[in-house]
Amino acid sequence: MFQSFNLIALLFFLPVIISIILILFRSRLLNVLALFFYSCMFLIIIIRLYIYPQSYTSYFQADSLNIFFLLILGIVFFCVALYNIHYLLRSKASLKQQTIYTILFIFFILSMTAAFLSQHLGLLWVFIEATTLMSAPLINFEKSRSSLEATWKYIFICSIGISLAFVGIILLSISTGEHHSLFFNDLYKNAGSFSLFWLKLSFPFIIIGFGTKMGLAPVHAWLPDAHSEAPSPVSAMLSGTLLNAALFSVLKINKILRLASLYSYSNSLFFIMGFLSVFVSTVFILKAHNYKRMLAYSSIENMGIIMIGLALGGAGAFAAFLHILAHSFSKVLLFLTSGNILHLFKTKEIHKVNGLLKRDRLTGWLWILGFIFIAGFPPGPVFISELLMVKAFLLKKFYLAVVILIFLLTVIIYGLAKAVFNMSFGQDSLQSFSVKVSLLDYLPQIILIILLFVIGCFMPDVIYKLIQNCLMYI
Amino acid sequence: MIGFLLILFVISMLFASTTGRLEAYVKIFSIQGIIFFLIILTYYSHIPLLDFLLLLIETLLVKTVVIPVILIKVIRKNNIYREVEPYIPNFFSLVISVIIFVFGFILAYLAGQYTQDIRPFYFGISISTIVVGLFIIMSRKKIITHIMGYMFLENGIFLLSLSVAREMPLIVNLGILLDIFIGVFLLVIIYNHINSTFAREKINIDSLSCLKD
Repeated sequence: MFQSFNLIALLFFLPVIISIILILFRSRLLNVLALFFYSCMFLIIIIRLYIYPQSYTSYFQADSLNIFFLLILGIVFFCVALYNIHYLLRSKASLKQQTIYTILFIFFILSMTAAFLSQHLGLLWVFIEATTLMSAPLINFEKSRSSLEATWKYIFICSIGISLAFVGIILLSISTGEHHSLFFNDLYKNAGSFSLFWLKLSFPFIIIGFGTKMGLAPVHAWLPDAHSEAPSPVSAMLSGTLLNAALFSVLKINKILRLASLYSYSNSLFFIMGFLSVFVSTVFILKAHNYKRMLAYSSIENMGIIMIGLALGGAGAFAAFLHILAHSFSKVLLFLTSGNILHLFKTKEIHKVNGLLKRDRLTGWLWILGFIFIAGFPPGPVFISELLMVKAFLLKKFYLAVVILIFLLTVIIYGLAKAVFNMSFGQDSLQSFSVKVSLLDYLPQIILIILLFVIGCFMPDVIYKLIQNCLMYI
Repeated sequence: MIGFLLILFVISMLFASTTGRLEAYVKIFSIQGIIFFLIILTYYSHIPLLDFLLLLIETLLVKTVVIPVILIKVIRKNNIYREVEPYIPNFFSLVISVIIFVFGFILAYLAGQYTQDIRPFYFGISISTIVVGLFIIMSRKKIITHIMGYMFLENGIFLLSLSVAREMPLIVNLGILLDIFIGVFLLVIIYNHINSTFAREKINIDSLSCLKD
């Protein structure tokens, strides 16, 4: 039955149908169920696309690189939609707001999916831009003074960034000379004949532009604000998938530079921005007072590590892809758990949260396990990726750089550990409380922990092959 | 003819960096829309009809009329007429803008030696307009001025995409999409103004400082 059907087209039209239904029949329950239904369909379709790659017109196509990112998106979206059920049902927002939230959420996913699938540089840019538009109202869902401020910074900084990326794309199109097409296949085919001057000029614009969206260091200002003020399911989506989408765009364009043999030029840019990100996040994690902000800075750090890995190449590139996967899962796990903590304690301040294990044992353990996974302790995949990265450093004989990196990572682990353990242990000041946490608030995190554990311990063949295919592509 | 229009464009940007009135920004924006329209008119024989029509709608309708009207409404609604509130005196921002334009021309001269695919004059002006737009954003306090700086930046990008328009009509279409985005962007701003928790305060960047480390 599936064979005769174009699945990518289904992915694109399903959201439209769902939104129409949601507008016609307004109900709180229908909202959450529709989102969950779409996430299930999404995951099934993506797995199906992974087994039988398809294309939809010449603009959209599933290939070996984007299927990796789409699978991460599918799994993360499934978990977040599951978590979202109880989050939205207990939210005090009006029905109209909840319906708008659900529809925008679906279209946010859609624009990311389209960005991943698009085979045209211009179209990729358009959909990355669309993700900003769709997610901005989601950040302002709680309508407080600070979330308004975060939304403003998010739209403004990201749209300036994305405009600069557009300048980069125009400069890149000048470099193509007589080949006019901006389809990635044509760009890759003709890359050898491009004007190197324009290509070199365009890449800083592109990396600053998409780097803004990715949260790389000099242009990361929006990220901690938006991640800390957004509702927890949205923070999880931003951190676990949106940053990947921007990274994906940089990877796609980086391939053009590699084919035009400007490899060392783009790598040095990656390296500098990566190190700067790790450094900046180290400084800010140590002085963070807000646990969601702390997680946001940790995202900046991990994006920096990924950029460093990509710059190293070889084992480093493998490590970078594994790190993308591991970071998405463990950061979503942490952000969803932070939603539970916020629900239990009604505060985002680290020093006001005490005795998490006493108040809610399971949330406390999820929080500690999430920390263990993100910090890179042995059972997790982050451990493998960071170990591989150190190996890649040593193979390239960058001894000083590896020492600095390990030092910064250690400081980050100290900063995270101090906050996490202060929150988890100690005496709970409140003796009785009436806040309820349902099974749905734990289940998504448990799924993610099992996945992370399996990847970290056994490294299934599927994952290995997926990453190998990506490495062949980039 | 095009050279004359581009000089006008540069003058309007220099004026924007010295003026103290908010409505003057809106008028400059509108005039730039007309300049774009005239530049495109001189192109007519080179681009396909459909693209030409799209460009006309964009420049003459969106840039010259719709966005300025929306901005004027926001300004009048919030009673903010004067005070651009720059961080540095107007004279110095004029000097800085002139320096940016000089550097733009030097860059264009250097770039012109590498390829024949672009017109250096266009290129220098558009790149420096983008930088001046960023400068206006950085050196002004009021949030409404930030939006205007952002739109000057967009105009610079539009000019840049026009400089390759003959070869790449698709890029121009993408530029139009960018403008649709500005429309949405502005709508969000207005929406925020109406519903905002900052309702009766004078909104400048200092009031947006509760989120920091």
